[in-house]
Amino acid sequence: MKLMDKLQILADSAKYDVSCSSSGSSRSNRPGGVGNASLPGICHSWADDGRCISLLKVLFTNVCIYDCKYCVNRSSNDVRRASFTPDELCELTIQFYRRNYIEGLFLSSAVIRSPDYTMELMIKALRKLRHEYRFNGYIHIKSIPGADMRLVHEAGSLADRMSINIELPSVSGLKLLAPQKDPASILEPMGYVRERIMESRELVLYKKPQPFVPAGQSTQLIVGATRDSDLKILTLTEHLYRRYQLKRVYYSAYVPVNDDRNLPSVNTSPPLLREHRIYQADWLLRFYGFKAGELLDEGHPNLDTHLDPKCDWALRHLDQFPVEINKAPLEMLLRVPGIGYRMAAKIIRARRVGPLGFEDLKRMRVVLKRARYFITCNGRYYGGIDLDSGLLYQLLSDKTDSKVMAGQISMFG
Amino acid sequence: MVYVTDGSFEGILTAVFEAFRNREDPEEITLGGDFQLSMTAGIREISTDTEKSDRVWRGVESKISKESLENLYMAYLSEHPRVGLYIYRYIKLGLNIGRKVEGYLQHPDVHAIYDLSRRVGSEAHLFLGILRFKKLRNGVFYACYEPDNNITQLITDHFASRLSDQAWIIHDRKRDILALFNGEEVIFTSGFPGIDHEDCEGEYEELWKRYFSAIAIESRKNPRLQRSFMPRRYWRHLPEKQL
Repeated sequence: MKLMDKLQILADSAKYDVSCSSSGSSRSNRPGGVGNASLPGICHSWADDGRCISLLKVLFTNVCIYDCKYCVNRSSNDVRRASFTPDELCELTIQFYRRNYIEGLFLSSAVIRSPDYTMELMIKALRKLRHEYRFNGYIHIKSIPGADMRLVHEAGSLADRMSINIELPSVSGLKLLAPQKDPASILEPMGYVRERIMESRELVLYKKPQPFVPAGQSTQLIVGATRDSDLKILTLTEHLYRRYQLKRVYYSAYVPVNDDRNLPSVNTSPPLLREHRIYQADWLLRFYGFKAGELLDEGHPNLDTHLDPKCDWALRHLDQFPVEINKAPLEMLLRVPGIGYRMAAKIIRARRVGPLGFEDLKRMRVVLKRARYFITCNGRYYGGIDLDSGLLYQLLSDKTDSKVMAGQISMFG
Repeated sequence: MVYVTDGSFEGILTAVFEAFRNREDPEEITLGGDFQLSMTAGIREISTDTEKSDRVWRGVESKISKESLENLYMAYLSEHPRVGLYIYRYIKLGLNIGRKVEGYLQHPDVHAIYDLSRRVGSEAHLFLGILRFKKLRNGVFYACYEPDNNITQLITDHFASRLSDQAWIIHDRKRDILALFNGEEVIFTSGFPGIDHEDCEGEYEELWKRYFSAIAIESRKNPRLQRSFMPRRYWRHLPEKQL
């Protein structure tokens, strides 16, 4: 088979993996080597679906022994199958890298023969890429559930980031749609990787560092293949950030690829807006000091699709508003709908020099469309409505959904 | 008064020096001789003098801050027609209130500098990603682009350390600026006509195009989102956007 055809097949079957981040690592180049890793990450293009392309994201092979119902590569599907040779993969990566198409390689795979066998093939390719081709750019490797920890360890010392996809947010979902996968085989390596990362950081203190996935680990959850609520998803997310110290949890609106009575029909369109809301909530957990329990609870288990989750929270906590823009601490500014991290920092910087009026905010290009209802400037309120009047829901809800379809916001990786 | 400079950063700083010495507030500080004549304002030709510009440079560094100097220079690279005036007013204010000026974002001139320098910085970051090299028959890698801002000098270090074992050329065709890397150092020059398509090998470009189309999810197509990250004006130098 020609390389062009392999690339077509193995990129096409890797595309449902959302992550493409290249951040969190700062590997430097070596004499005679190719590449380095940039700490904030770099996007190299944006595909027609608007998602950032940072890495060459391919499967090593799409030949699979499993028959997971949601997956396009399930063994019972009649699709074209292909595998790279290690050299083909190395050459593609290096040549793309030299032309500045990519930041590095994202290598995943279907499970061929056994998890261990698959993992060994992937490691062999990575070893070649790092040592023979002297590649110092970014590598993200997908760990294969069920592989031996010794292999997980070896893969982790070659890669910058490692991920293990949870895919289905609940054990019941997993039993229903991926009966051959054992839930423990996902969480066990996650715990293992976390410990190795901690260990390698401690080692740095007193001897030559042995890097182990310096950019941390991430995972992916499918949204909309099962009946799990947003509350369930966000609670799991919060747990993953805390317990396993994941760098990112990615969400993927389920794109129906197979007919199965346990799945949404193939004519269903992917729940993009729901995915977008979950990303917004994820952002609130990571950067804005919110807890999952503040955003959702049993009586309110799903995010409002018409409101962004911060507005939704604010509407249920009107007693905390309006806040005075010249006095509010950073934590509270960050809770004002419409004020993002960058704007909050700008406000704090400027108000140290002098008090800020409403016109000053405009001049500083603070977006006031939503924020105006929730703030005062020097004690004056410019929202023009009574906060308790019940008008806010109407004023704040999104009229159009199209502009907000950012599947993956690349700025913070 | 309209101060006419040669458009260099030193030229603008010389103009700043002259404005202080003449105790006058210029209405305009031009970037080069191409400007709108005003009926009322007189013209002062500024001849660039590095002794004068050095004094302003050091003054900004010591009496305001190094960060301010960097932001002023970044803003200068935007080539915005009013940037000379913003720089003058920023310095004047900064000499008055010190390094506090950096945070004085409610002030229109300070915000203008902040805004322009950020615009330059983000375009430079974008091109770390979307600059594309073609491999020429002679083995040299050649990248041609037309950025909004004059960012070539901001991106060469990145490529010199990343692609340190290949010879490359970065060509800003709009400004006729050429950065050459020979494996050791970056040399800036100009006067380059460009490269014919026949001089480039195309094998990996074809593979890249195929990859680009295979990785998009059809049912999530979103051209508006794509354009918001990667504006159409940059497409002509992106092989993946050529049909």
